[in-house]
Amino acid sequence: MTGRHPLVGALSAVALTFLLGPILLVVGVAFTAGDTIEFPPRGLSLRWFAQALSYGPFLEALRTSLLVAMAGTVLALALGLPVALALGRGGARSRGAIGTLFTLPVVVPELVLGYALFQILMVTFRVSAFGALLAGHTVLLLPYAVRVTGSSLAQADRSLEEAARGLGAGGWATFTRVTLPVIAPGVAAACVLSLVTSFNNVPLSLLLNGPGTTTLPVAMLHHVEFAFDPLVAAVCTLLLVLAVAVMLVTERLAGFTDVFARQEADRWRP
Amino acid sequence: MWRRRTTGLLLAPGLAVLALVFLYPVAVTLVAAPAGVDDGGLADRLGALAADEHIWRAAARTVRVAALVTALCLLLGLPVGFLISRSPPRRRAVLLALAVFPLLLSTVVRTYSWLVILGRTGLLSRALTGLGLTERPTQLLYTETAVVIGLTQLFTPLVIITAYGAFAHVHPDLEAAARGLGASAGSAFRRVALPLALPGVLVGATLVFAGAVTAFTTPLLLGGTRTPTLATLLYDYANVTVDWSSAAAVALVMTVVVLAAGALAARVPAKAAPS
Repeated sequence: MTGRHPLVGALSAVALTFLLGPILLVVGVAFTAGDTIEFPPRGLSLRWFAQALSYGPFLEALRTSLLVAMAGTVLALALGLPVALALGRGGARSRGAIGTLFTLPVVVPELVLGYALFQILMVTFRVSAFGALLAGHTVLLLPYAVRVTGSSLAQADRSLEEAARGLGAGGWATFTRVTLPVIAPGVAAACVLSLVTSFNNVPLSLLLNGPGTTTLPVAMLHHVEFAFDPLVAAVCTLLLVLAVAVMLVTERLAGFTDVFARQEADRWRP
Repeated sequence: MWRRRTTGLLLAPGLAVLALVFLYPVAVTLVAAPAGVDDGGLADRLGALAADEHIWRAAARTVRVAALVTALCLLLGLPVGFLISRSPPRRRAVLLALAVFPLLLSTVVRTYSWLVILGRTGLLSRALTGLGLTERPTQLLYTETAVVIGLTQLFTPLVIITAYGAFAHVHPDLEAAARGLGASAGSAFRRVALPLALPGVLVGATLVFAGAVTAFTTPLLLGGTRTPTLATLLYDYANVTVDWSSAAAVALVMTVVVLAAGALAARVPAKAAPS
């Protein structure tokens, strides 16, 4: 077994330490009693957590982030699921081309998309910053919604739907009572993936700035640029806890590594 | 033919939004001049490009950094992907979860840790002076090296995931056969497992390269204004100096680099794949 070779094990240990060590370091910094970003921390305290949870700009940004992530996810699924259905079950001739079209938003650099939306939506068409931000997130999440629900549809047993139709169910009844329950794990996976992708996005929110469009990552970024206190370390630690929770919930819903590993690797595939 | 009509109705809203909020804005921004903006379109953009040395220097740095990051990610990610593919199911699940977990965190969170490590009073600088290797505090922050380190950490999971998938499709018996025929563990890996997994590994490398070319948060935080990449330069032109012609020119260069990498990757695996 070449997989048991000590060199493979040693290199892997180095890689995983490099990957996860720095993230854990931030947790240590967050518990400092001192005023600067420092590791090992100077004394232990929870003061930066208390401050993070009562810091107005971060709380407001968190509200914006959650609002955009949830609205964007709902919109992307509302638009994407029908597309996936049409591509998977419909008789469209140019399925391949349309499928490719819907992967484009993740291929074009996010910063370019953000800049384009800023120019066209905000400057030319005078759309509000929040409207442009929501539109940008929706279009960014659309590829995930189409592909994740699409692969779920491809795996679903078509004969169930045909049986329902044969027994007299209409198109809508077949969809809501047979197709949707069957692909529910795929829809759940698409939701989690969309929420995480939107919540973590920086370029769109940074370029489409206006009243009420500062999201949490952007607020953290601005804070880091000007202050050297451990406030952001505390927020990072809280987000780490949130990510662990998301991981456990996703594992229950659809298999954590299935959802995230496969989707990241297949990003560009229609 | 109600079926075709239904299909059309299902596709219409998605296509309309895609066209209005993505295709039209991106196309206009990249190649035409949007109305009401002081910008003469593609000709102006190419003019700005030719004249602007900043853009070329940033482009060269971006490609250099991305190539280095891709190589380092392969170096770190390949062994882990291989190890995971050859682990028993339980350990495989745990290792894979550990490798994928960072993808749940914002780039701001993942980059922030490097401020703690690489700063003038950071962990690394104090360790170096503590060991007597350097006399003065070392400032690694705001250098190209810092950007490379940060991006490598950001994108290694992509190589691990794709390499794992590729190695999982290479049957371990093939390596065992090579060993039985007298190959060392190293050459069984190099001459049997790796070539068979290469197409999948190249997909991962492309994702890393494209990601590194377009990455924004990490070069902004770790590179600062002294080492601009295409991404931070675009942000600078769009938001700070408000030079829209140049911003669009940078956007064009960045998009072309990414699409070229994607197109190249789409062709290479087909040739590299064993027939």
